[in-house]
Amino acid sequence: MNELLVSILQAAAVHTGYTLVSVAIGAVLGLTLGIGLSRLPALARYLIPLLSILNTVPGIVFIGMLYILTGMTPATVIIALSIYAMFPVLKNTVVGLDSVDAQYKEAARGCGMDHYQRLVQVELPLAMPTIIGGLRLSTVYTVSWAVLAAMISQGGLGNFIYQGVSSNNNALILQGAVPAAILALILGGLVDLLQKRAVPRGLRKGRDGK
Amino acid sequence: MLRFDRVSLTYGNQKILNDISFEIQEGQFAVFIGPSGCGKTTTLKMINRLIQPDSGHIYLNGQDIASIDRYELRRHTGYVIQQIGLFPNMTVAQNICVVPKLLKWPKDQCDQTVRALLDMVEMPYDQYAHKYPSEMSGGQQQRIGILRALAASPPVVLMDEPFSALDPMTRRSLQLEVKNLQQKLNKTIVFVTHDMEEALDLADIIVFMDRGQIVQTAPPEEMLESPATDQIREFLGKHQSAPDPAGLTVDQFMRTGIITVKQDRGINECVSRMQHHNVDTLLVVDGARRYQGTVSIADIRLTGHVVKTIGPLVRCVTPTVHTGDNAKECFEQLISSGFPYLVVLNGDETVAGIVTKTSMASAMAEQLWG
Ligand SMILES: Nc1ncnc2c1ncn2[C@@H]1O[C@H](COP(=O)(O)OP(=O)(O)OP(=O)(O)O)[C@@H](O)[C@H]1O
Ligand SMILES: [Mg+2]
Repeated sequence: MNELLVSILQAAAVHTGYTLVSVAIGAVLGLTLGIGLSRLPALARYLIPLLSILNTVPGIVFIGMLYILTGMTPATVIIALSIYAMFPVLKNTVVGLDSVDAQYKEAARGCGMDHYQRLVQVELPLAMPTIIGGLRLSTVYTVSWAVLAAMISQGGLGNFIYQGVSSNNNALILQGAVPAAILALILGGLVDLLQKRAVPRGLRKGRDGK
Repeated sequence: MLRFDRVSLTYGNQKILNDISFEIQEGQFAVFIGPSGCGKTTTLKMINRLIQPDSGHIYLNGQDIASIDRYELRRHTGYVIQQIGLFPNMTVAQNICVVPKLLKWPKDQCDQTVRALLDMVEMPYDQYAHKYPSEMSGGQQQRIGILRALAASPPVVLMDEPFSALDPMTRRSLQLEVKNLQQKLNKTIVFVTHDMEEALDLADIIVFMDRGQIVQTAPPEEMLESPATDQIREFLGKHQSAPDPAGLTVDQFMRTGIITVKQDRGINECVSRMQHHNVDTLLVVDGARRYQGTVSIADIRLTGHVVKTIGPLVRCVTPTVHTGDNAKECFEQLISSGFPYLVVLNGDETVAGIVTKTSMASAMAEQLWG
């Protein structure tokens, strides 16, 4: 029994590691690319649909393809998961920045802010609730995508699930699936906490009180 | 102070501004008005280089603004927009300090500025400085919007329909506040509005635009007196005649249906007429109904027994005026003469009516309440 708990915890730790590292990399990439794209609306118009299509390529196919390139290593897992984790953040960054009300952009320009100041002082803070919404999505998804790590024998909670599926052992499947679900809940909750802290009071109850 | 020199702008093949030139003096409150889409906002936004002209030059204190760094220019030009645009992620204090911060003022100077400005609009620092825009009314928000524009004490403040989204009461009090601030701080204000009343109340000079051109530039009184086009007259609308007593004539307020009597009528007929209409004087006319004077019951009692007709008793002392005479002057005459009424005559000297103090009161009421 004790042995079982240890193996679950170990797998969960690996799983969490994959998730956190990939989400962190994905978020940074998504935010950076999102900001870049929002400055180049012409490019964004073509790139966003393209990325959405890419996003629908099943993770299993992608990891398989990547496996050919980078082999059976944790790097393969991290790269694949990071790219998947990037999409929701990227998309929400573009949408969030895009939907900042024109009046604030105009006021920021009129006050004499340059591009960077406008972005940092006004546009990003106003887009933050949307961006963090993307981060939440990507965190929760990544927890489940990380199951695929087991496919190229890189551990994680997916191990139990794959073994369970191949040996038709439901207990084993649950042994992987339940902790993964709990992990998704916990990490999602953490992002919600972040949401509360990162979004200023003025933005919490509705938008401006016109 | 601020001068536009032959400024033009074209979008596609639509001329937005067509060769605009004007000059605004330091400390002037200039109000731009005109129909929707005439280019007011465009003109305003050129002053802080939010929009670049295709041709022409804009000078600020003699310097072509094209040669000023546009961020620097904007930091030294106040800007208030209709949508208010307070940053919802910042408190009142942070919003007010946006420009001072961009100018890298030290923190305690920023704090002092916030206190001084909030003080000026009577919004206590402790109560408001740390509120977020969403926690305030529209009027309070726009007050802060104005303070944000004033924070770095810019010599010129641009305001694009700053009050049009506010309810009439709030608008009124903010108008007064802005006018006060402008005079106290000696700002040059360029103000855009749709509302002629606002323009007339606030402006030192009104610039009327239509289809990308300036139609008339004049102080409010002059525009009221001699609007350059019918369009401006229409915009002036009710303001034109009503607040201008010079346009009112006495016949608009006189009482008509006055009892008259011919001068060859007998005393008895005259007395019975007075009794019948319950008056103590009658206006006397000749055969052609031309005004001759008045006859009073007192005179008839005194000397009625020695004359047959009222002719000899007619007095011609009551002041007369003519229809078309200025109402205000007639009222002044009525008061200074001490008579209970004035007689208003038509051009052919027949009686048109009389003006009493009651007519004066009703005229004043009409002035005040429309
Ligand atoms: N970006 C743009 N592209 C093309 N035309 C524009 C653009 N911005 C404004 N216009 C046109 O320029 C003209 C002047 O616009 P402007 O906003 O200056 O008008 P306005 O006088 O402020 O009107 P309003 O009273 O409705 O605010 C309008 O006919 C408008 O349609
Ligand atoms: Mg406008």
